[in-house]
Amino acid sequence: MVADMLIEVKDLYKIYNEGKENEVRALDGISLRIDRGEFVAIIGASGSGKSTLMNVLGLLDIPTYGDYHLDGTDVTSLTDKQQAHLRNKQIGFIFQGYNLIPALSAAENVELPLIYQGLPVDQREIRVEEALKKVGMFDRADHRPAEMSGGQQQRVAIARAIATHPPIIMADEPTGALDSKTGRHVLEILHSLHEEGSTILLITHDNGIAATAERIVRISDGRIILDGTREEAGL
Amino acid sequence: MNLNQAFKIAAKSIASKKGRSALTMLGIIIGLAAVIILVSFAEGQNKWIKDYYASLGDNTITISASSYTGKDVTEKLYAYCQKMDEYIIGVTPNDSVYGNYPVKYGSKTMGGSKNEDWESRPQITLGNQQFTICNNYTIEKGRDLAYLDVKNLNQVCVLGSKMASSLFNYADPIGKSITINGTPMKVIGVYSETDPQNISGKDRVILLPYTLRRYFPNGVDSGNFVAKAKDARSTTMAVTLLNGYLKGLIGDQGYFSAETPNKWQEDSNKQNQMQQMFLGGIAAISLLVGGIGIMNIMLVTVTERTREIGIRKAIGAERKSIIAQFLIEACLICGMGGMIGIAVGYLGTVIVCKLVLKFIVWPSIGVTLGSFAFSVAMGVIFGLYPAIKASGLQPVEALRAE
Repeated sequence: MVADMLIEVKDLYKIYNEGKENEVRALDGISLRIDRGEFVAIIGASGSGKSTLMNVLGLLDIPTYGDYHLDGTDVTSLTDKQQAHLRNKQIGFIFQGYNLIPALSAAENVELPLIYQGLPVDQREIRVEEALKKVGMFDRADHRPAEMSGGQQQRVAIARAIATHPPIIMADEPTGALDSKTGRHVLEILHSLHEEGSTILLITHDNGIAATAERIVRISDGRIILDGTREEAGL
Repeated sequence: MNLNQAFKIAAKSIASKKGRSALTMLGIIIGLAAVIILVSFAEGQNKWIKDYYASLGDNTITISASSYTGKDVTEKLYAYCQKMDEYIIGVTPNDSVYGNYPVKYGSKTMGGSKNEDWESRPQITLGNQQFTICNNYTIEKGRDLAYLDVKNLNQVCVLGSKMASSLFNYADPIGKSITINGTPMKVIGVYSETDPQNISGKDRVILLPYTLRRYFPNGVDSGNFVAKAKDARSTTMAVTLLNGYLKGLIGDQGYFSAETPNKWQEDSNKQNQMQQMFLGGIAAISLLVGGIGIMNIMLVTVTERTREIGIRKAIGAERKSIIAQFLIEACLICGMGGMIGIAVGYLGTVIVCKLVLKFIVWPSIGVTLGSFAFSVAMGVIFGLYPAIKASGLQPVEALRAE
């Protein structure tokens, strides 16, 4: 079976203050290919550029140079509106700080990307219920973020990420703010999503968490220094 | 995302931040209410002053005209004014008699004594059938002086309200005879009260036909007339015409003048205009301060919410959805604040005007709508501008905002 390429980047650079004394190369020539259905952990020390890589891959940031094809589409030439559509349909984000909107309830937070997708209200309700049930948060649907624990908030954030059924889930330190037990639970959810066919991109500095992935990409100073199995990475 | 959804998101956002929304509204409410109350009060004050001068005798022209040659001015002036009915409603002699004559009814006597207070002395005045209208009196009982009373030298009189009550108490004076310096005069009418505070002495008047001058041995201060113009505009024209006519009639052979008490009013109007400008200035400042308050809160709000904009963008919101949400939010808050502000302004106007001016003034629609538009525009512009800016950021930059 020929692997189905989902993400392909070539010679990706993200340079701040280019040409000045304080130039920073957050991404310094990254080339990477991720196929559909992979579970990839991107690891590296703090400041190595792994979050910048996720932001660029997630269309939250634009690279200074380089090619980026997402599901066959050249995304570097897309308009703001087209990028918003791609983020909405193709990618589900999970952030370390959850990034829920405090004024909205759990269900309303999960519903938001579906509203932006233009889904009718009856379908939205079905999707919200399905997503919240999957993360075990349906009984807290009416709670606001401030009324939930960190682990619960992260589960709602995961529900929001999967509500649109995106092919890719990008998780940036999803367990970073959680205790180890809750962190394990969140990781279990990611693995079950992977088993259902999602492509998972996990950013972490924690080797223990990275060790649960089948493929490890290690980054240092904006460059890939290792791309292989967890055995090859020595985890 | 359709408009309905944008509306719901905006409403939810307002409801979830009640304190902030209330503060924004408060800025608008105070600004708007202040403008409406101050401007209306100034307008009410203006109306009060106008009414005051109108009650003093708006459109009246005082004339002095006397000929050394003994030419009869009264008849000619009357005839001229009748012809000029396009501008002049009427003209009457307004002569007071010299001396202090006793006025009697039964055992009651008014006047005639040196020790008497000026405040209770009868004001014996000679006029014609147009005296009542020219001096802004109205007949309460009986009838007015008639042309034939003047022509036939009828010994009749019309009493001011105070004079009637002093001489007759509660009895009906009509048809009864009083004596003035011993000469009997039949009371044919009584005027309504015009001056409850008894400042002008207008209610102590005893009007007699001017043709009865000969009954007053001490003489009469003759050559005084009062004319009434049709309206404020005619007054100026009438003054010009009368001066022209009197110049032709008397010329160098006497003296004449025709003028209006409007000059006082003009002075007072100038003062009033200054005051209105002053109040308008204060109102404008309150509106501006309110506007700056709105601007401040809106700017803080959006800076605070840049992160939220980042989240919304990350999960697929288009720029226009975010702008629509903020626009609707600003419109809702400012619109509601504006309506409450108008309500408070109207209520405040009614209360202030009722307490201070004793009558209700309704604020002008123009001022109301103008200041409403201003505060809503402030809210919308300053609510929208930072949203437009923030929605143009890369999602990662907006997400980084703390």
